[in-house]
Amino acid sequence: MSADQTADQNTAARSRDAGDAGIGPTPVAPSARQHDRGRTGGITFTGWMMSPGVALLGLLSLIPLVMLIMMSFSRVRLLGGLQLEFVGLDNWIRAFSDVELWKSWVLTIGFFVSTLGVELVLGIAIAVVLNRLTRGRGLLLPLILLPMFVAPSIVGLLGRYMLDPTFGLYANLLQGLGFEQDVLGNPVSAFVAVTLMDVWEWTPLIALITLAGLSGVNPSVLEAASIDGADEWKKFWNIVLPSIKPILLVAILIRSMDAVRYFDIISVTTNGGPADATKIIPVRLYEAAFRFFDLGYAAVIGIMMLALTIMIARLFVGLLSEKETH
Amino acid sequence: MRTRTPALTRRQMLRAGGLSLAALGGLTACGATNATAPVPGLAPGADPWRRFAGTTINFISENTAPTAAIAANLQPFKDLTGINVNIVTLALPALVQRVALDLAGGQSQYDVVYADPYQVLAPYAAGLSDLREFAADDSYPPLEGGFEDFIPTQLQAAGMFGDSDAIHALPYDCPTMIWQYRKDIFEKHHDSMRTDLGFDPTPSAERTWEEYFRIAKWINDNVDEVPYGTGHQAKQHDSLMCDFSNVLWSYGGDYFADGAAVGLRGSEDPGECLLTSPESVAAAEFYRRLVSIAHPGSLGWDWDGVGNALAAGEIAMAPNWHEFAATNEEALPGLVGYAPLPRGPVGTANHYGGTGIGISAMSSGARRGAAWLFVNWATSTATQLSNLRSSAGGGTPTRQSVYAMPEVQAATTRPTEMPNMLTEEAVSIAWAEGKIGLRPKIPMWNECDTALFTELSRMLAGQKTAREAMEDATSRIDGIVARGWVA
Repeated sequence: MSADQTADQNTAARSRDAGDAGIGPTPVAPSARQHDRGRTGGITFTGWMMSPGVALLGLLSLIPLVMLIMMSFSRVRLLGGLQLEFVGLDNWIRAFSDVELWKSWVLTIGFFVSTLGVELVLGIAIAVVLNRLTRGRGLLLPLILLPMFVAPSIVGLLGRYMLDPTFGLYANLLQGLGFEQDVLGNPVSAFVAVTLMDVWEWTPLIALITLAGLSGVNPSVLEAASIDGADEWKKFWNIVLPSIKPILLVAILIRSMDAVRYFDIISVTTNGGPADATKIIPVRLYEAAFRFFDLGYAAVIGIMMLALTIMIARLFVGLLSEKETH
Repeated sequence: MRTRTPALTRRQMLRAGGLSLAALGGLTACGATNATAPVPGLAPGADPWRRFAGTTINFISENTAPTAAIAANLQPFKDLTGINVNIVTLALPALVQRVALDLAGGQSQYDVVYADPYQVLAPYAAGLSDLREFAADDSYPPLEGGFEDFIPTQLQAAGMFGDSDAIHALPYDCPTMIWQYRKDIFEKHHDSMRTDLGFDPTPSAERTWEEYFRIAKWINDNVDEVPYGTGHQAKQHDSLMCDFSNVLWSYGGDYFADGAAVGLRGSEDPGECLLTSPESVAAAEFYRRLVSIAHPGSLGWDWDGVGNALAAGEIAMAPNWHEFAATNEEALPGLVGYAPLPRGPVGTANHYGGTGIGISAMSSGARRGAAWLFVNWATSTATQLSNLRSSAGGGTPTRQSVYAMPEVQAATTRPTEMPNMLTEEAVSIAWAEGKIGLRPKIPMWNECDTALFTELSRMLAGQKTAREAMEDATSRIDGIVARGWVA
């Protein structure tokens, strides 16, 4: 390939990228121009069909997003009507230098990893067991799924009563085992307790999704592996797990989004305590916005959360696309 | 067939963006409307109580005993005035959010507001009407006994802010922390306790916090009727600050210089935080020691938790709000006694947590006038007396004339139909000048409070020493105060 040909191809590629990004006219190779005309030349029929939805989305999402960004650079006054007082980067500098906020981020990541990890392992295990059951599955499945249908704040209240040191069932059991402290009054046990409450509620969702995935595993492949002498663990690790990986990624994606904005259970049990041991980012965001009415600072935390959510979503969507390509 | 339509150009995009920003500006400006309609005048010869008959107003309140009593007995007000009152009761944090957003909206969805002095009055005083305007207007029924009938410290603490003479709220309730104890246990073990401890253990303002600690420990070790001697509201919550403040003040510590004035009248600039003083650190160290021998549930309890624990026989004594007397009397009839809190090196301090009710400055027209009639009625002598008798909650009167009534005086001893009055002797000492404990009334208190109770919680969890906790709380509070407040 000559140097001129390579240069032409690079120019065409650049112009395609520029066209995608909506940047003004750039000389393009004829073939590339023809190829892109449908996309960049105007709003297509499909585009017009989508426009009411996009406009509604814009109204519901973009305006609040722009407002959020504006608030993050402002001091917000409420009395007598909302007023934004421009303060430049003050809120951002404060957020990046706030040690307490970073502690909450570390805690959030710890919570994210532990809930997701435990839910994934337990969910897959439950699904595998259910998949093998030939009798009683119809009875067992609804029972296992039951926690999923309870509102998170009710799960928190149940947890709080179960762990009450005066009359709580679990607290009494733990006291019998020698754990005399108040479970929700000790930083470590409180963190474990709120994590387990989330695990109790949402493991069934992972189990349900995994169960759907397991029903799609080709039995003849498993049979062939058995004939070849593969044990159960090898079959699970080398055949079942790769087969259900895409659906597991979807389950993880759904749970990740939820885990990042976990709030209800903590709000009704520990409210971030003791010693800030359960003050994950959503709790801190709520506190800044609706307890201190420090809306500019809360906007910064909100944007940080949004960025994290997008990163997680892109990571899993990327993994899914990679899988589909392979 | 393909339809060709022009693409969105950069100019169009910019125009759309401009329109969005203009829409945002419009939305922002919408909230700034605060034009108020005038209150309709009183027709000659008309009954001033019925001038707003047919009007409906909204009252937002914390879910407290007096509001429960009023909600259960609203008919007399409707009969008197013809005004309908919708009462919204919420937990305090939710109430503060609603009120702030209502004031921001400028539409005054809530005409009458439960104005917590620290979370509503101090930050949003400008959003509340000056009630002197109504009291001075002859077209309204007179305020019975005038402002002077309200307990003076309570009128200032719950109704006023800063140097202004404006009265933004009338005292509506007055929960105050006192020593609540199981009389039966103290009577049964009195002699053994006295012999072992070397002092009379009977709860009174003469006992010290150190003696309280020793009594609690003695009960832990020697009494079978209850598992623990004392319990505390030491959850990471506002309650932890309330509980700790009693000890702090009695040890001579304070949040800011001139703490009494900052507590009574409030300030937007209270100065530097004083929690690193030796007295404050000593108080924190004692509090840590006290909670370490308390019921383990203390670390997860707020005031309701402590109230339930005392009623359930889990603890023999606790500092708690005096309005829990009604619940105590129901659960343990005749078994709970009340006394002012113990004293520290400089005296006793009893945390006052009273609140007033005020009128939104945005309320207008007939609703504004109707709101004043309701505030007047809800804080009147007759209503406060009726609340005391109510089975729905039981009030805590804020008028001196109510306490002077013979039937109320008679109710201070058992048997009584007004259980909250059993605390009268203790609270009358607690409200005396120099003995009432008032937390700082500053607009940014909510955030300072959170900083303090978080550091205290870390101290109680063993993550920090008393000194470290006080130093870190001071540093955080100074930062919050330096940032100032915009409402």
